[in-house]
Amino acid sequence: MLKKLAALAATFAVLAATPAMAQNITAPPAPVPAGITVETIKVHSPSLEGNLEGNSTEREALVVLPPSYGKDKKKRYRVVYYLHGFAIDGRNFYNFMKVPDAVNNSAKRGEEFIVVVPDTLTKLGGSMYSTSVTTGDFRAFVAKDLVAYVDSHYRTIAKREGRGLAGHSMGGYGTWVIGMTYPQTFNAIYAQNACCISPRTETEESAKKLSSLPIEQGVKADFGTRAGLSSIVAWSPNPQNPPYFADFPYKGGKVDQLVIAKWAANSPYAMVASHVPALKSFRAIGSDAGDKDGLLHDDTMIHEELDRFGIANQWAVYDGDHVNRIGQRFDEVVLPFMAKHLDKK
Amino acid sequence: MARRLAVLAALILATFAQIHPAAAQEKARVDLVKVHSPAIASNLEGNPADRTVYVVTPPGYDQHPDKRYPVVYFLHGYFVEPKAYAELFDLEAALTGAGAAGNDVIFVMPDGFSKHRGSFYSNSPTTGNYEDFVAHDLVAWVDAHYRTLARRESRGLAGHSMGGYGAMRVGMKHPEVFSSLYVMSAGGGSVKLITREMAERAQADDGTVDLSAPVGGVQGDLAQLAAWSPDPQRPPNFINAGLLADGAIDPVVQARMAANSLIGMLPQHIRELQQYEAIMLDVGDKDGLATDSRAMSSELTRFGVVHKLEIYDGGHGDKVKDRLRSAVLPFFAAHLDR
Repeated sequence: MLKKLAALAATFAVLAATPAMAQNITAPPAPVPAGITVETIKVHSPSLEGNLEGNSTEREALVVLPPSYGKDKKKRYRVVYYLHGFAIDGRNFYNFMKVPDAVNNSAKRGEEFIVVVPDTLTKLGGSMYSTSVTTGDFRAFVAKDLVAYVDSHYRTIAKREGRGLAGHSMGGYGTWVIGMTYPQTFNAIYAQNACCISPRTETEESAKKLSSLPIEQGVKADFGTRAGLSSIVAWSPNPQNPPYFADFPYKGGKVDQLVIAKWAANSPYAMVASHVPALKSFRAIGSDAGDKDGLLHDDTMIHEELDRFGIANQWAVYDGDHVNRIGQRFDEVVLPFMAKHLDKK
Repeated sequence: MARRLAVLAALILATFAQIHPAAAQEKARVDLVKVHSPAIASNLEGNPADRTVYVVTPPGYDQHPDKRYPVVYFLHGYFVEPKAYAELFDLEAALTGAGAAGNDVIFVMPDGFSKHRGSFYSNSPTTGNYEDFVAHDLVAWVDAHYRTLARRESRGLAGHSMGGYGAMRVGMKHPEVFSSLYVMSAGGGSVKLITREMAERAQADDGTVDLSAPVGGVQGDLAQLAAWSPDPQRPPNFINAGLLADGAIDPVVQARMAANSLIGMLPQHIRELQQYEAIMLDVGDKDGLATDSRAMSSELTRFGVVHKLEIYDGGHGDKVKDRLRSAVLPFFAAHLDR
């Protein structure tokens, strides 16, 4: 696991301005082609209220509107919710992915969408799109609060058949777990280079190391360490164990198996077998990974697990790594996938 | 004239009798019905999609055709069909007694039996989706066929042993359906990991079921693996027990077992549990599962989920009949809206 995270961190380092400690990933502003409108909204999330990390309950989201939105005032649109990865916020992900270009290119192909990119950055670098009293219920934030806001403020096709969910890396993980938990909200899901598929484990050594890190250092730690800490607060929260408000996987000189069990309950790979009806209810499921992506093995495994359970899914291994072609694939693969599987009315 | 009046009277009586088929239902009545469950259909074990369900209507149900009632759903334990619980409970007497105490309630007990003697009320392609059967198909059927108060505030969910597991599991996921939970002597609370011996035994099983075999042995493992580690590609039992070539157990099988333990699932369902009006756990002090119930209660407390745990003088099953009368039905009388 640590090796995997190190590989992931290395692939991400190419993105970061400086691969220094505790930097979240940034990207220059995305160009906005003529005809595309981008609005920044703040969505209040009741599902995040009372979280113990003090993560904001007012979440920014970027809403990218297609060319005809401002002209054809009666038309309603399909919406793709697009989830960012770890150690990046919603805006920088939107920038990096050049979402306005993708929406514009799709419109040129005759397929108009609204794309919504929410921000789920947390104190330690990422929500894991999980349901935790410590970080907040980010699954419900996306599937309930955000969707309700967008449906009530924009001319959407406000039903399951008009909504898609996609994401990259931690956002790909979020796509899997939110999809399995709230299948009734989305019609089609697409996970790009999803992380955190296998159950997270620790050795005694790694567990001990994580468990002894003061929080002041934790918030400033490197990508891999913060990813580990974020998983802990998302998956084994404990309101009575400050300052992290979580149970660490190390107890009495050993790996604490109860903590490992709680993490297992958040592994998409372990979840598939008990979420077959939810997964079969989607009109379409897609996932991919680059052939040079450290996550290729895990992403292949969950695709094969779906096959084993007779759950129809589309899968691609492409020439690339964890990051280098993801924006292009959102434009050329993910949006066409959604065009095919979401209803225009 | 007198004859005409007599005819008229007879006619009126006949009409009255049609509206009130059993003019006076003085005792609770136990109906044995079949409910078709699309959620269980086409499972790999061949468990019937038409499920036996006990529906007990309270005294006075027939006399008050406009009255609607709260409903208690009860999930039975492992190893037996619901008949065993119906007889153990003496449902007619139990619900007649509740009615006499002013607690008119409909009591529903579905069949959670499966090929390996218990579904664990989970969703699995091998057993069928019993979780969805309880929360969706069964509740919808009961609301359509009986005069229920068809809202969460008037629905309670309870169960014993495997059924206690089921009540907690289904309850955690469906606060929109039920508003109070009573969990008796729950099994499946802690994480059960698969050992090499268990896996070897389960994988060697030829899929024929000996219903005369005693409790324990391979059957219970097969039931839990069928519920939590199904594998449609592996006949005859359609399970993955996880035995690898080197004798180790596949970590994903252990992860599935962990992911389906109540204690493993709990942290993801705090907000749902906080929506319940009341949650009660109980267990006998001589029950081997008392440790699990205590652990579950500590977890609930840690997460601020209001509940009560009662540890009583007893074992796993010896007090269950009494407690239905003295604890479970009064609990729902106090918490379900009428």
